[in-house]
Amino acid sequence: MNTEKSNFTFKGGIHPEYFKALTSEVALRKIEPPQYLFVPMQQHLGAPAKILVKPGDEVKRNQRIGEQNGHVSSAVHAPLSGKVSALTTVPTANGRLAPAVIIELNGNEESEKYEPFKEWQSASEKEMLARIAEAGVVGMGGAGFPTQVKLSPPAGKKIDTLIINGAECEPYLTADHRMMVEHAAEIHIGIEILRNVLGARNVRLAIEDNKPDAIQAMEKALQKMTGDVAVSVLKTSYPQGAEKQQIFSVTGREVPCGGLPMDVGCVVENVSTAYAVYDAIINGQPLTHRAVTVTGDAVENPSNLWVPTGTHYHHLIAACGGTLGQATKIIAGGPMMGFAVTGLDIPTTKTSSGLLCLSSHRVPQFASHACISCGRCVEACPMRLIPSELSQFIEAEDIESAERIALLDCVECGSCAYVCPAHRPLVQHFRRGKGVVLVKRAMVGGKK
Amino acid sequence: MDSITTSTLCIGGIGLVSAAALAIADKFLTVPEDPRLAKVLELLPGANCGGCGFAGCADYAKAMVLKGVETNLCAPAGSASAKAIAVLLGLDAGRNPERRVALVLCCGDFTEAVRRSKYNGIAECAAAQAVAGGDKGCTYGCLGYASCVRVCPVQAIRLEKGIAQVNKHRCISCGKCVATCPRKLIKLVPYKAEIHVLCSNPEKGPVVKKVCGTGCIGCKMCAKLAPEAITMDGFLAKVDYTKELKNPELIVKCPGKCIRSA
Amino acid sequence: MEYFILLVSAILVNNFVLSRFLGICPFLGVSKSISTAMGMSGAVIFVITIASAVTWALQKFLLEPWHLEKFLQTLAFILVIAALVQLIDIVMKRFAPPLHAALGIYLPLITTNCAVLGVAVINMKDGNGFLKSVLFGFAAAVGFAFALLIFTGLREKIDRADPPRCFKGVAISLVTAGLLSLAFMGFSGLVK
Repeated sequence: MNTEKSNFTFKGGIHPEYFKALTSEVALRKIEPPQYLFVPMQQHLGAPAKILVKPGDEVKRNQRIGEQNGHVSSAVHAPLSGKVSALTTVPTANGRLAPAVIIELNGNEESEKYEPFKEWQSASEKEMLARIAEAGVVGMGGAGFPTQVKLSPPAGKKIDTLIINGAECEPYLTADHRMMVEHAAEIHIGIEILRNVLGARNVRLAIEDNKPDAIQAMEKALQKMTGDVAVSVLKTSYPQGAEKQQIFSVTGREVPCGGLPMDVGCVVENVSTAYAVYDAIINGQPLTHRAVTVTGDAVENPSNLWVPTGTHYHHLIAACGGTLGQATKIIAGGPMMGFAVTGLDIPTTKTSSGLLCLSSHRVPQFASHACISCGRCVEACPMRLIPSELSQFIEAEDIESAERIALLDCVECGSCAYVCPAHRPLVQHFRRGKGVVLVKRAMVGGKK
Repeated sequence: MDSITTSTLCIGGIGLVSAAALAIADKFLTVPEDPRLAKVLELLPGANCGGCGFAGCADYAKAMVLKGVETNLCAPAGSASAKAIAVLLGLDAGRNPERRVALVLCCGDFTEAVRRSKYNGIAECAAAQAVAGGDKGCTYGCLGYASCVRVCPVQAIRLEKGIAQVNKHRCISCGKCVATCPRKLIKLVPYKAEIHVLCSNPEKGPVVKKVCGTGCIGCKMCAKLAPEAITMDGFLAKVDYTKELKNPELIVKCPGKCIRSA
Repeated sequence: MEYFILLVSAILVNNFVLSRFLGICPFLGVSKSISTAMGMSGAVIFVITIASAVTWALQKFLLEPWHLEKFLQTLAFILVIAALVQLIDIVMKRFAPPLHAALGIYLPLITTNCAVLGVAVINMKDGNGFLKSVLFGFAAAVGFAFALLIFTGLREKIDRADPPRCFKGVAISLVTAGLLSLAFMGFSGLVK
């Protein structure tokens, strides 16, 4: 194991103010559980889980309450013991509705658990993949792609490099940072397991150079790993944590247009996912809790919390001493890619990495203007697209032309909108355009 | 020879040669075209609205002439044209559907419906819907960003107090607005129908009351007054348009003020 | 060298559309999308090149021997060009229906296009030989295509932009055409 300074970084990107000092030194803290948990059945990408309980049922901690429903889907477990008081639908951070189970907690410590693997080194890949699926592990970086699917690439795609993503390039967020500082040993075992399951030769742990303590902690933890293992120190730049940009920064390989990381022999997993994999295999513990950064200038005590999924956002803010004055804008996730929310009765999910409360002077009000063709967005785009052109095509409802210049390759990182001097809502245009394209493709596919 | 003769001969000669060339080309090279195609196209309105499911009127005309597709798919043309085309092509006109018009099933305008946040993005319904489900307190009601107004080929929709309203006399029932509305609020209803429940919120009364002054609160009053034509779908009243409904009393009595004539 | 200068001069310096202001009708009419503009350009290049050859022959073997070129030139040229375009229309409909569908009503427009007649008349006025006539016709048509494609590209972009309301549509197009013409005046010192 050694440490390498990455020689290259992706093209474009931006350098926003990071505000990480608010919480980077604050240790993870368990919160007092709320009275009710609203556990959504859709905490991942793909089909919602099938509900296994009915109102009135007693559920134990870690009991499976939602069953994997289809190939790309994931199981959901009760984070704490209690009684199912109702089945309902809840709003999620992105504004959609998801089926959910409401659990009235009773403080019971009784727990169900999966049998831990005593000798995981001798277990077969299949057994471990099955356990990861049972434990409901999903990508915790934000998209929530079911991990077992990501770890079983189709035959013919050889994976030689496993990249563990500890970049955490979003401003404000420090949840992954704290995980690396406090749980380095567990993450190390998680990485070993992931490497074995994938059969990958190389392992790279990517961390931005603005987190020296995390780099140090992980260097120490990975000291004993054999083979081609390295902590890869990346330049601090947004979006360094985006999958395709990170693969380029770490390996110099470029994912082709419309392709996936496995097309260049890479799999990228978040550090928190590595921790969840460790927990599932070594402790038999399903994924029910996660680290959430509650921060922003409108929060009394910005903190990193260890939160059971299904906890409402207002409970998290209360656990941090409430808001200072009025929070003008509340964002689920980071400021660049997160979703502004309209209420706090939204439950935490497996992919909620942060909750950001901003006061009015951090939320500028502006009107957007016509594109002046200055080209700053083109410089900033890490995917080498032409955001100005794309947005004008979409505005003129010429979605086909936008598709032709690779609209679908947009990763919605928001760099273009950040630098735009005309304050154009570029990412929103792209999201809408992509929606139109995907609906059209689904219709064409349906007809065939 | 004087110049008049030479000129006449010259031009006449050129004309003859050209005419002969064109005549030969016409005889051997022209592509035969079904003469009925032009006639059918004449009977269609030419709005190219796409309501029939084909890419414009010419495409639909071609489908009718060559493939014998039903002639009653064009709502704007009406039944008379459908019959005329059927006679022309020797096809069956089919049973002619009743004239239907679009209707926006929401009446929570900005005086009545609550906005829960400030929205500063693209003024487009689908885009607003994608940001935390829109800024309107009622997550089922009309967002008022006029996407339907923009797609309507005959300018039959306009915004009134932040709610889209269809002028039913202009509507040609092409269905574009129905497909555009991200909240699926626009339905095609019979032109003749006069009384509608203008709310789409299926929640219980208190939940509806909190977000809108003119929503269906699920009191079932209308279902009792006109049991033959109004049914309750959970907490939302729905009009069964296959039944006759002419009871103006309903409009006055609805406590949610959402039963209206249109 | 002489031919090269002829080419440059016809394409850039004395551009038919932007310097001589001939063929403005298709220039404004067919410049909405690149694909139709390409079709139109192709058709114009084809027609003008052939028309140059045919009119040269007409002039040389029919009008000049009979001393008719002074007063019958325009009439005879229009007649021949019109017949030619009709012929191309029929042939294209048969052998390239997609191109025909794209050009639609614009192909007959070439019949009375002043650019086509202009090339023929200028050729005769300058007393060009056969090869020079054809080359000049071809170059002039390429110049036309060049201007048309530049203008179409600009117009596609302008259509997507959001100009002030009073400028929308044809107004901003004409302003753009004027500016483009000014820009082409910059070539005037290139060839004497």
